[in-house]
Amino acid sequence: MSSDLGALMSATFHEAGHAHLVELVHQKDRAARRQLASVRLFAYDQDGCPRLDQTLDPGQEILDVAALLDEPARRHGRLLVVFDARYDPRIFPYRPHHYGYLHRQDSAVPPLYYAVNATLGGVPDRIGAVALNNFETYLFLDRPMTGHHAVAVGNLSRFAPADAEVVSYYEGVRHVETVRLAPKAHTEVKLEPERDGHRLRRVELKALFRMASYVVGRRAGGELVLFDHLFTYFK
Amino acid sequence: MTTGLDPALDAEMLCYCTTLTFGELRAACAAGAWPPANKERTGKLCTGCQGDLQYCLRALGVRGPA
Repeated sequence: MSSDLGALMSATFHEAGHAHLVELVHQKDRAARRQLASVRLFAYDQDGCPRLDQTLDPGQEILDVAALLDEPARRHGRLLVVFDARYDPRIFPYRPHHYGYLHRQDSAVPPLYYAVNATLGGVPDRIGAVALNNFETYLFLDRPMTGHHAVAVGNLSRFAPADAEVVSYYEGVRHVETVRLAPKAHTEVKLEPERDGHRLRRVELKALFRMASYVVGRRAGGELVLFDHLFTYFK
Repeated sequence: MTTGLDPALDAEMLCYCTTLTFGELRAACAAGAWPPANKERTGKLCTGCQGDLQYCLRALGVRGPA
């Protein structure tokens, strides 16, 4: 494969029972020049065991993730889904973007649209990016919460385990939970809606290197009402 | 001679920002020329490969940054 190609590794999570579509290239043009050079999908269970490795057609516009992964997700639980893409930087001067659509089947809750977390790459030297992105944060809306929230976090490394520190803030109260993740392992760290009478206001994720991460909100019945990536702390 | 890293990985990507492969890392370490030209920012941009980079440098007998 040509070393002139750019590389991007993006990640999301999939649970059985949800319609889950991913637009492989968001910025399509009429001449269809904007397509990936190649893209491969990997899926891992919570312990980091590989459950699917599939080369995708880079000309495919929309990928039905549920069609590919509902069956392994029923058997193995929530899966970390990794998109390993190569692209021509002349076509994508910044980087390609994958966007997702997520909706629990037979649910009256509105569907969720989200940007797939670009975890590795897509930030080549030519952009001159200087901000660290292994510290991320998320601010919650200033209104009463229903259901519960969590941070879904996965380690995309090949060899290195990671300690991921999830820090939640309740006005002046700070709560820290650290999880150790083996390569390709993932988990959901539940966030209490209140501590000492104070509402959850903010959450941070810190690790020695960048993790795949999302803030997840669920109603009491488990329906997803929030699935969003965190934001880099330093801008 | 460097050991400790499976040669089957050589074509695989290590750093997605600088597009450094495991094979390029192995070759640079074997030549005593780590980091190679234009790959100096490996591990320092998105940071996602930093853990693997340190693992590989140790496996190849090269001391990483403190």
